[in-house]
Amino acid sequence: MRSKAWHLIRLLLVPTIIGLWSGCAEVQQIAEEQARRSGDERLAKIIHGSGTLVSGLLPISYEEEQTIGAAIALQVVARYGGVYDQPELTRYLNLVGRAVALTCDRPDIPYHFTVLNSDSINAFAAPAGYVFVTRGLLKQIRNEAELAAVLGHEIAHVSQKHILEVIQRSKSLAGVSEAGLAYAHQNPDVFKNLIDAAAKKLLDEGLDQDKELEGDSLGEVFAARVGYDPTAYVTLLTRLRTLKGDDRAFFKTHPNFSTRIHAVQQVIQTQGWKPTGVLLENRFARVRGKI
Amino acid sequence: MKRPSRLDAPLVTLLLLSLYLLTSVALAETVFVQSKTAKLRSGKTSLDSVVADLKFGESLEVLGKEGNWLEVQTTRGAKGWIFAGKTTPTKPTVGEDDVLAKLGKSFRRTEAGDVTASAGARGLDKVSEGYANRVGITQQHRDAIDRMAAYRISDQEVEDFLKQGRLGEYAQ
Repeated sequence: MRSKAWHLIRLLLVPTIIGLWSGCAEVQQIAEEQARRSGDERLAKIIHGSGTLVSGLLPISYEEEQTIGAAIALQVVARYGGVYDQPELTRYLNLVGRAVALTCDRPDIPYHFTVLNSDSINAFAAPAGYVFVTRGLLKQIRNEAELAAVLGHEIAHVSQKHILEVIQRSKSLAGVSEAGLAYAHQNPDVFKNLIDAAAKKLLDEGLDQDKELEGDSLGEVFAARVGYDPTAYVTLLTRLRTLKGDDRAFFKTHPNFSTRIHAVQQVIQTQGWKPTGVLLENRFARVRGKI
Repeated sequence: MKRPSRLDAPLVTLLLLSLYLLTSVALAETVFVQSKTAKLRSGKTSLDSVVADLKFGESLEVLGKEGNWLEVQTTRGAKGWIFAGKTTPTKPTVGEDDVLAKLGKSFRRTEAGDVTASAGARGLDKVSEGYANRVGITQQHRDAIDRMAAYRISDQEVEDFLKQGRLGEYAQ
């Protein structure tokens, strides 16, 4: 009787203790080995399963994010005409982007900015700080403050881990209990499916409306913290709203402009910001000829 | 009517003192550094000398405000001025999630060793390179991602860029 009760207690307690001691993955390994050595294969499996369960529930690490980000970035570059290699433009984009990233909620990771050789109007972010802007969108921008807000929007997608959320969600839908690279390493098909699904969401369907609006609001805040005129983003979004024809392809991956403009105006109102006039049109004009 | 005992006086004093301290703490305004690079200066312009380099998320007690600058005191006791745009009234939450992420990685490592060792120096590692092979990404595009990840700009270069544009604390 005692033995049965004790076994039940062990069944309930072991996963809990492992969860509580989850600071040490080694503890899990040692316990698993001990159970195996003592001939209790069932207990060993439970301990192993607990570790897997814990790992599946925990967020993706930065190293793992780098692998996922690079894979998605490959898709972005391949689908949008490759990278437009213009050293002066690339440097300028990285300076503005880095200035904005310094004030974001996740300034401790490196952010990388590049131009896509595409006339369509769009910008993307992949996990681990990969940020892309098309030549088409750059051609619509009139000053550095507008560019800073666009980059702020993309930086917000990275800092808030919006794409990683898509990955976590697809992982659940696919019934995959482990998101880790180790699992993907052993199962390249699973990794491919997860990346393909995330790239489809990012490039074809667009992120959820609330994520885009959060990107707008936070991007606006990040750019304003640097000192750019907070009303510049409203001016850009208003200009984009008037576009017609093929350029409207961009619209299907983002919420409608009136909603976005309203959301940004609300941020400005809540923060009590006034137009500062810092647009830096001349500095932007110097690289405009390189687009 | 029962007289208060001798013990009541110190007790009341202690309660009043605690109340005073609690009120003082509650009234003191605290802000947090919301920038990877932030400087505490001796005055309220970017030309004033740097008293200390502040860390992202560091808490600062506000002593006063003038224009876009806050007079603050750090937890180490250093006093000076900081550009208000580099602070936030709410503590940045960054970091908490990353601890869990590292933990998750440590668990997943036990499953099949560290497969991310090559990540960091280049944009692509074994797994993303394997993905590129499976979906047929050209070498040109792979090189573009590697170059993108390797592109470096120092914090000082960004600071000089801000200064040149008279942005934030460099505004005149």
